[in-house]
Amino acid sequence: MSGGKINKFWTTALTILVVFALVKWGIPAVSRQLTGMPFPLTVPGTLVFIYMTLTVVALFLLVTFSDEYLREFLSPIKKLLRGGYSESATWIVLIAVPLIVGWQVYEITVPKVQLPSSLRIQHPSSNFPVSFEKLKNPIENPSEATIEAFIDQAKENEVVFIPQVKEDVDAWAKETDPDHMLEFLPFAPVKKLLAEIEAGKVNKVTAKAALHEVNLFEGRALYAMNCRPCHGDSTAGDGPMADGFKLRPINFTDNGTIETIVEGYTFWRVANGGPGLPTEATPWDSAMPEWKLNLSEEERWKIILAEYNLAQKTPRIPESE
Amino acid sequence: MMKAAIILIVAGTLALAASNVLAADIASKPMPEATEAFTEQGHQIYIQRCSFCHGLLGDGNGPAAKYMDPRPRDFTLGTFKFRTTQSGELPTDTDLFRTVSRGLKGTGMQAFDNQIIKNGLSEEQRWQVISYIKTFAPEFDDDELDPVKTGKVVELPASTAPYNAETVAKGKAVFERAKCWECHGRSGRGDGQKSFDRKDDWGFPIRIRNLTHPWKIKAGDRVEDIFMRFSTGISGTPMPSFVKALNDEDRWALANFIKSLQHKLTNHQVLKALRVEGDVPLDPKAAEWATAEAMDVRLAGQVVAAPRWQNPSIELVTMRAAFNDKEIAFLMEWDDPFKDTTHKEGQVFNAKEISKVGAFNSYIEGNGMIPRKLETFRDSIALQFPSKETSGTKKPHFYRGGSSIPVNLWIWKADADAAGKRAVDDAGARGWKQPVRAQGEKQQQVTSKAEWAAGRWRVVMKRPLTTPDRGDVQFSPGRFIPMSVNAWDGSNGEHGLIMSLSTWHYVFLEAPTPAKIYIYALLAVLITGGLGFWFRRIVRNAPADA
Repeated sequence: MSGGKINKFWTTALTILVVFALVKWGIPAVSRQLTGMPFPLTVPGTLVFIYMTLTVVALFLLVTFSDEYLREFLSPIKKLLRGGYSESATWIVLIAVPLIVGWQVYEITVPKVQLPSSLRIQHPSSNFPVSFEKLKNPIENPSEATIEAFIDQAKENEVVFIPQVKEDVDAWAKETDPDHMLEFLPFAPVKKLLAEIEAGKVNKVTAKAALHEVNLFEGRALYAMNCRPCHGDSTAGDGPMADGFKLRPINFTDNGTIETIVEGYTFWRVANGGPGLPTEATPWDSAMPEWKLNLSEEERWKIILAEYNLAQKTPRIPESE
Repeated sequence: MMKAAIILIVAGTLALAASNVLAADIASKPMPEATEAFTEQGHQIYIQRCSFCHGLLGDGNGPAAKYMDPRPRDFTLGTFKFRTTQSGELPTDTDLFRTVSRGLKGTGMQAFDNQIIKNGLSEEQRWQVISYIKTFAPEFDDDELDPVKTGKVVELPASTAPYNAETVAKGKAVFERAKCWECHGRSGRGDGQKSFDRKDDWGFPIRIRNLTHPWKIKAGDRVEDIFMRFSTGISGTPMPSFVKALNDEDRWALANFIKSLQHKLTNHQVLKALRVEGDVPLDPKAAEWATAEAMDVRLAGQVVAAPRWQNPSIELVTMRAAFNDKEIAFLMEWDDPFKDTTHKEGQVFNAKEISKVGAFNSYIEGNGMIPRKLETFRDSIALQFPSKETSGTKKPHFYRGGSSIPVNLWIWKADADAAGKRAVDDAGARGWKQPVRAQGEKQQQVTSKAEWAAGRWRVVMKRPLTTPDRGDVQFSPGRFIPMSVNAWDGSNGEHGLIMSLSTWHYVFLEAPTPAKIYIYALLAVLITGGLGFWFRRIVRNAPADA
């Protein structure tokens, strides 16, 4: 294949341009489609340099593959230098090229007011206590006694709610005067439990599933009160405060966030916040609070339960011992 | 075959790069019939996604509601702010669909469109939840109140004037004539005379919109969105409808003018200080500031530790810096419709109760907990720097540093400024758990000058580049010096840790460009030029190729 009618010099130049365009704009565009995030992932300058060097080396090998190729490649350059296009074209190129090179040298050497980028590790493990690795969310895995207690409460129509949701539930009960106060949760497990209570025979599996719905309801409220201002009502990292932080709040719906860590890790991060991070995770940039100062363990676990549920993610399973 | 595939891939990716992903806030088809099962689906979604703000009864009293300003909508009265219908009318289904899909910018109501957020709601789910929301207000069942059937919908003009200098100027005249400035202020910063202590129909205080901050324009900052807002009015608020007072053309021009007021944010994290030949300016009106580069600093409510505050009023501070061999000065500008120069220590909030584990909530309520009114707390702003030169990327925490890594704060106070006293405290902090400590009188080297005009503070703080004090930041050219901002709007109830703050930015004092850099560039030009002419000679002297 001799390149058809187009000269090797021009196909070479075109190849360099196309590869550059792909790296510079193509990869970010594709990344946006793949990640589904509203912003592109830019290709770092060093990587652009590596890709372009590889391209130039490959093209050099191709061009110098045979004398014939090389002759073809050099012919337009020779023609230009000889004045074959026109004498003024020769002069323009001979003056423009050194000026462009000089400008580039200046651009590269002049000191720039540009921040040296620092790599940040999002999920540091250097100070993650091993004891947290296998922690299980006690709210998701309630003990037999907890389930029994819930069944008793449900039978008596005296389910105890956390104070944060109690006011709203009570207002609802006062207004609607329901047969059973759990009726405000229109979900199948709760309906099934209420039917079983009515029939006088309560199954523990049903009760556990209904209790899960109650915990989710409480967890969502705690999330909305505590986490929503930054992480957003849908956990998409887009809360009303989000734009104020250079290090944006994490979007839990993204792949590679809360689904790649065990829930014990999530619990540890929520408890210790930014200040609990090791140096490689730039704790000084993180607005994540030390929630252990304000929220009880139970509240934190309920939030984590709701957070995974809202984000439609599941935590990574701890490696078996 | 191979060639075609490559061309396809190349063309495809480049086309993707050019295309803009548009979210669907317009439904592909009208609202489906609200069967019982359909609405019940909506009920489930409502409990999962909406009730913690809007409440189980739809009365806007969910657990998170009282901490938010603006508060979540009370659906039971059928009064909706953002509509395409005439004043006092119900919204159309499409209006509700738009709000649920896009959300309301700058508020807790965020986008639910599953093309915007991954775990969002599909078009059908959005219709389901809307059908449930409509059950809260009986008005929606009344055909006589249906804005579509009764012809109460406000349409966008069929043909519209383009956005240009002429229509903007025309819109400015309409802005004057319609007296928009009475509330929104001449420059649109919400600083009009009538703008304090306005209340909505529920008795909650509301603030007049600052039209220059597009990220706070709730129902959209596009010209057509703005057009709709003053055409329909905002129900339940003092914002009236102008659909009868102004014709389509005037309203479109006005929308163009409002659009032109919107501030365009800079997007860099390093403030390049301007090197000046003479004295470093202390006056905010000094001519030098016009040539200094501006950097916008975004601030968020202080939500890192109790007492947490999610309703800050200062979300943007624009900074400039200038220096010479001896001194450096920072100009900080921010919008604040009210000048607050009194400070009552007795009104300071005691955060002890809400700061404990197991407290009901560690956030300050939107209304009631702190006085958000005039004549109570002062306006104030602070610049924060690490006390010691930072090594590598390591810095103190942006929230007041820590016990082993202190920060230096320059805290400017409007009450001291108004009283003609030294207005800046040169202070230090070691973490938010400990109080900020002002340095001794002899270590106070920061001077300041401030002015408040047309709803905007302009404050200059100036200090020698270096000081002998151990707790002070020291400036020298060629370094990235971390810098962040704390801000308080007194009439918004802000004081102490109830404030807005930014994360780390940097200030950079440029060193003069070394002469060798120009020499390198010149050498490069000469060598390349020489080579070019040398090749030319070789080619011309050689016999022509076959």
